[in-house]
Amino acid sequence: MTTSSFASHTRRASLPILVFVALGQFAGGVSTKGLHFYPDDPIAREPESQDASQAKPYEIGSLFEMANNLFVTAGYKPSGTRARNINTTDEVPDSNWFTNRIGTTTVTVDQIVRGPIVGAAPDPSRWVLIREKTAGAHPGFTARDAKGETWFLEFDPPYFPEGATGAVEVATKIFWALGYNQVESFLTTFDPKRVEIDEKATIRRPSGARTKFTQDDINAILERVARNADGTYRVIAGRLIPGKILGGFLYDKTRPDDPNDVVPHEHRRELRALRVFGAWTNLTDLKAANTLDALVTENGRSIVKHYLQDVGSTFGMCNDYYEWDLSWEHFYQADTTRRRLFSFGFALSPWQTVDYVEYPSIGKFEGDRFDPRTWKPQTPTTAYLELRDDDAFWAARRVGAFTDELIRAAVHTGQFSDPMAEKYLADVLIKRRNKITSLYLNAVNPVVAPRLEASGRLTVDNAAVAAGVASGPATYRAAWFRFDNATGQTQAIAETQSATTSIEPPGGLPTAAGSFVAVDLSVDSDGHPTWRQPIRVYFRRAGDSWTLVGLERLPESLAAGRAAQTPTH
Amino acid sequence: MSSVGMRRLFAVVTLAAAATTSVFAQEPEATTREAAIEQLQAEKAAVLHPYLPGKAEGLMNRAEDILVNGVPSWHPSFESAYYGGGVTVGAGYAHHVSAYNQIDVRGSYTILGYKRIEAEFTAPRMFHRRGELSLLGGWREATQAAFYGLGMGTSKDNRTDFDFRQPYASGTMTFWPTRRLLMLRGGLELSQWSQRPGKGTTFPSVETVYSTQTLPGLGTSTTYLHSQGTVGFDWRTSPGYSRRGGFYGVTLHDYRDKDQAFGFRQIDYEAIQHFPILREAWVISLHALARTTSDKSDQQVPFFMLPYVGGGSTLRGFISHRFRDQNALALQAEWRIMLNRFMDMALFYDAGKVAAHKADLDFNGLKSDYGAGVRFHGPTATPLRIEVAKSPEGLKLIFATTAIF
Repeated sequence: MTTSSFASHTRRASLPILVFVALGQFAGGVSTKGLHFYPDDPIAREPESQDASQAKPYEIGSLFEMANNLFVTAGYKPSGTRARNINTTDEVPDSNWFTNRIGTTTVTVDQIVRGPIVGAAPDPSRWVLIREKTAGAHPGFTARDAKGETWFLEFDPPYFPEGATGAVEVATKIFWALGYNQVESFLTTFDPKRVEIDEKATIRRPSGARTKFTQDDINAILERVARNADGTYRVIAGRLIPGKILGGFLYDKTRPDDPNDVVPHEHRRELRALRVFGAWTNLTDLKAANTLDALVTENGRSIVKHYLQDVGSTFGMCNDYYEWDLSWEHFYQADTTRRRLFSFGFALSPWQTVDYVEYPSIGKFEGDRFDPRTWKPQTPTTAYLELRDDDAFWAARRVGAFTDELIRAAVHTGQFSDPMAEKYLADVLIKRRNKITSLYLNAVNPVVAPRLEASGRLTVDNAAVAAGVASGPATYRAAWFRFDNATGQTQAIAETQSATTSIEPPGGLPTAAGSFVAVDLSVDSDGHPTWRQPIRVYFRRAGDSWTLVGLERLPESLAAGRAAQTPTH
Repeated sequence: MSSVGMRRLFAVVTLAAAATTSVFAQEPEATTREAAIEQLQAEKAAVLHPYLPGKAEGLMNRAEDILVNGVPSWHPSFESAYYGGGVTVGAGYAHHVSAYNQIDVRGSYTILGYKRIEAEFTAPRMFHRRGELSLLGGWREATQAAFYGLGMGTSKDNRTDFDFRQPYASGTMTFWPTRRLLMLRGGLELSQWSQRPGKGTTFPSVETVYSTQTLPGLGTSTTYLHSQGTVGFDWRTSPGYSRRGGFYGVTLHDYRDKDQAFGFRQIDYEAIQHFPILREAWVISLHALARTTSDKSDQQVPFFMLPYVGGGSTLRGFISHRFRDQNALALQAEWRIMLNRFMDMALFYDAGKVAAHKADLDFNGLKSDYGAGVRFHGPTATPLRIEVAKSPEGLKLIFATTAIF
């Protein structure tokens, strides 16, 4: 290793900004008068300090949300700002939105197979129908099982037997592992011979009135769903979410009646990251109606818990039988509309020519033409547009943490009767995972997990290399600074480099307890120009050891509009 | 602004500033990250308010309620009393009399003074959702309906106008025995057609050019008992909008004149076929409609009941009812191009003719037009169709609130 005169002019010019950013990530930062890093940085959990019992239910109209997203949000220019709910080490702390699981801790096969399930499965020996199903794309009922517990039952359409129910089952496991609050869902059966209608069961009629639920209402549903050979029906049963239901959440702004919701949703990294997770799983239906806020009591305080309630519009189920365009286009795009208009439709779109191997239980899902950057949900959300490459990197690491074994285990929970269909779904997920990691882990400097030993030796990992999506020789460069946590001032020490991921320190590192060092880490490697963009990491001296307290992968603010506009690699 | 409002505004501005420009000091200063976040949450707790939808959201929610849950109590009605009346405005009031059954009272008025007022009772879920009943009663008047003479040899300069008034009452039952594919429809209607002199000043009234000897039905008031039956095979996704499937049907009509002077029979043969191409991004849609009439012994078909071609649903480049005779044939071909989920454009070609004899309903001497248009549609309906059609007789602009076929 040698000490070099390496210096990044650009980096130094942006230093004051970077310091500010590293110090005040959460909620766009708070008062930084005095310390830049607080003693409790990096926080591992987002506090919910206020009582949210005043939160009131409301439902966002789906038509308004769709129109607003298609014609207003679509013109939204991404701010280019860094996510605001991340901690100072660029990670998303646990919260009522998100729990760190895969990518942070090890998720086992048993865990992913269990997913969000904590309670017992429904007892399908008797179903008592109590009302219609009010959410989800596919028909169903709200019913009590033989044990008296309330469930939301959803059937498969006749042309996708096992498809809709299997998608919910598998996607629920995947999104639980990714960290989202999920509904406990079970594949079970619905035997029309063992169905009763609750005496008080009602259904909303076109007249607006709720009237008594009848056998004909059951028939009306069962006539248009897939039936098993023995006359029963395969259903997915979703357990009633505990707490008071408050309606869905939006992908922008905050709930005005939730005091703990202080980060605009478009700046929550886990919501931005749904662009990556959605692309992986084909979760195209990103609307408020597929989310749910519930008022629950935790530690004696009412708080709002946020669910991705319905992740069933995934894999091949995002398109109906005679639909091909979803995941390739929004419901409406001015550019493609113009192109088709002026070319009389001769300007073909990718969805018109992509090859699908269609299994009835899988639908249209493929990984060969899939491009994470051109994947599109039904409508653009503000959070979707605000995704930056550092958000995508964070998300891609989680996607990459799904081993083939985990993916196949999750897919197996879908209980697909055709083993070829099950294999195909897993294979496509693996292909799409590989494309995501290959793209996003190389889109930024992939240095992760910096550790500064007591001796001063700095060791890092390379996420792209570790994921097998990059290789070749690389030179790891470190520019070392003393950092004043009170003023934000930095003082250059020296620069060192290594041909491995372990870098010797320069002389002159501070040794006093409570002192800080900042290190700009970059990587020279042919074919990876983005790796040269340094990341800035901060360590605090505690006793004889150094603790990572800050990490910034990209500057606080990118050029407005760049966030979602970065070209396809 | 009230003091409460000012305080809320101030608090919101303060919060917003804190959330975007965090370098400015706040009091009291937090000493931990957690405390700093809690401070923000405490500040927000002071300005909580329920979600308040804006005006646009309120309107869209109302629209969604209409689309999802059916016709609103008050609704627009664009159905003209008769083709050729020009721009139509109207309104209706619908009221559910039970969970699914409703009564709709509606009326419309056109720029040429055509009037329609009617009430309809619909029961859409009869026989375990296999049948739909419609009971309709009303009255209409067309003040300047066009008549150009019989056959294909007429000139558009031969236009005459006539007026008719018609009270009517009907019942129609549509039945899908297997809930799909096979469709049976039967109906009975009692109506009185009173043909009168045209009220327009631009064209001569029909009785000034024709006599009762040369034009059957001129100046008559005819009371019909009209019975009809249809057998059809329909596998379109929806009659209101479809990109695949087809419809093939035959309808038999019997018009019984109370005075046994103008009774006749009519058979309608209709075929619709949609051919999706490139995953339905293109659709070749074909439509054929043939109408044949046959006189009952010693009776004639009145001129105003004769089959026709011409107008926004048959030969779009021609004026409404441009050609009339005992039999009619309309052929339409469209190349529909999906622009997005809500819009299609279409290039179309129409051809058609009328003939005194069924044997002459061939492909010789067809009048034709061509044009282009856009359609705004949902999954099952086409609420707006705008087309421009060109024929040897000129250019026609068409606004319609239904699918062409």
